[in-house]
Amino acid sequence: MRPVALRELAFSSHGWNSAPAPAVELDAAGPEPQPARSPGRARDVAMCLTAIALLLRPMGPWFVRPAILAVAVLMILSPSMLRSALAWSAIAAMVAVRIADDWPLADNHIYLLGYWAFAIALSLRTAGGEDTLAFSSRWLIGLAFVFAVLWKTMLSPDFLDGRFFRVTLLTDARFGDAAQLIGGLSAEQLAADRKALQLLPEGAELLDPPSIDEPARLRLLAMAATWGIIALEAAVALAMLLPASAVGSSVRHVALLLFCGTTYLFAPVAGFGWLLLAMGVGQLDERQTALRRVYVAAFIIVIFYGEIPWAGLALGAGRG
Amino acid sequence: MKMLAPALLVAVASTQIALSRTFDLTAWKGGGFGMFSTLDHAGYRGVDIVVDAPDRSESLQVPASIELAVARAAACPADRMLRAVAEAVVARERRYQRPVSRVTLTFWRADFDRATLRPSERPVRTFVYDVP
Repeated sequence: MRPVALRELAFSSHGWNSAPAPAVELDAAGPEPQPARSPGRARDVAMCLTAIALLLRPMGPWFVRPAILAVAVLMILSPSMLRSALAWSAIAAMVAVRIADDWPLADNHIYLLGYWAFAIALSLRTAGGEDTLAFSSRWLIGLAFVFAVLWKTMLSPDFLDGRFFRVTLLTDARFGDAAQLIGGLSAEQLAADRKALQLLPEGAELLDPPSIDEPARLRLLAMAATWGIIALEAAVALAMLLPASAVGSSVRHVALLLFCGTTYLFAPVAGFGWLLLAMGVGQLDERQTALRRVYVAAFIIVIFYGEIPWAGLALGAGRG
Repeated sequence: MKMLAPALLVAVASTQIALSRTFDLTAWKGGGFGMFSTLDHAGYRGVDIVVDAPDRSESLQVPASIELAVARAAACPADRMLRAVAEAVVARERRYQRPVSRVTLTFWRADFDRATLRPSERPVRTFVYDVP
């Protein structure tokens, strides 16, 4: 095994190093120099980001977790492992075992990860694998977002009327700081609302039930979140599934990056964000180096979103 | 070949919708991408446990040893899941040498009033397991 990976695979050839390759400089007096092509580099970056995502959020029971982590480490260290259909098939199989082990408790992005690993394995076995992977990426993201929009708009009884975000902003501790910062709630109001929203045992009823205090800004935030998320998800679904003649590839990337850049600022599921961004890279061709950089930057930004309690810090700063 | 992974996604997500309609599988789980779409999730679902024996009728708090089984049953209260909880309860009671002849499980979930948001707990399904 040759230890190399990130520099060779993704970041050293044209587009990633500021210093030009020596071969290009030597030929500068001749015909227009062409940077050396490295077929499948976008796919390599997509696969590398996926392996990193596997390491950032270890998952599964004891009998698959160490194996997933070990394969991911080897993928990052060894280009041959990264490009091994067998290794990606093994990841897909282990993800399937992880899902089956405690069905139905796995989160949805674990399923998407399994499909994505499977799609990578298939692309590595076929001629024109980059196109196959780009196709799978578009359809997997598009279909996942179609189902997400379907649930929110047609199947759930409490999303479109705003109840989901009205209650979640008040009761989910992960959204508490944002509810105060953007929704204009005081800490005391939030505590009182949480108490008022506590479940009583079946049949129990308070003589004088407390009312729930929702400032106008909080109601506005809940409605903006409700319709904003539907608009973003529908935009991603349409951008991914409409034919290229109707939607340019740049629109697809803008929609996906916009979704990740806004949603994961609030939603506590960075793993989903990393996966979507890795899949987005899988749709790039070799010339789209700038977009590749944007995706990698977005991947890192989502790490910061998840690790920095920005709303809590802003709230603390506001209080002096 | 390139449609295989997307086809698998559609098959699983469609099955998840069918299971949510037939077995009350929560929208958040099962691969249907219904997360963040409804309040009907683990925080507002649960399973109450009552153990009966000739001289005993007792409501149990969910013990740590069966938390996973209860979480699975709360996410998808199908017979198989609820039976697994009941059998785990019986096994635990026997470990502690307590009599048990029947386990009654009540799956409930919370509803939130559209205007006031006031929550109420609503029993959805009762499962009775007579110890063989």
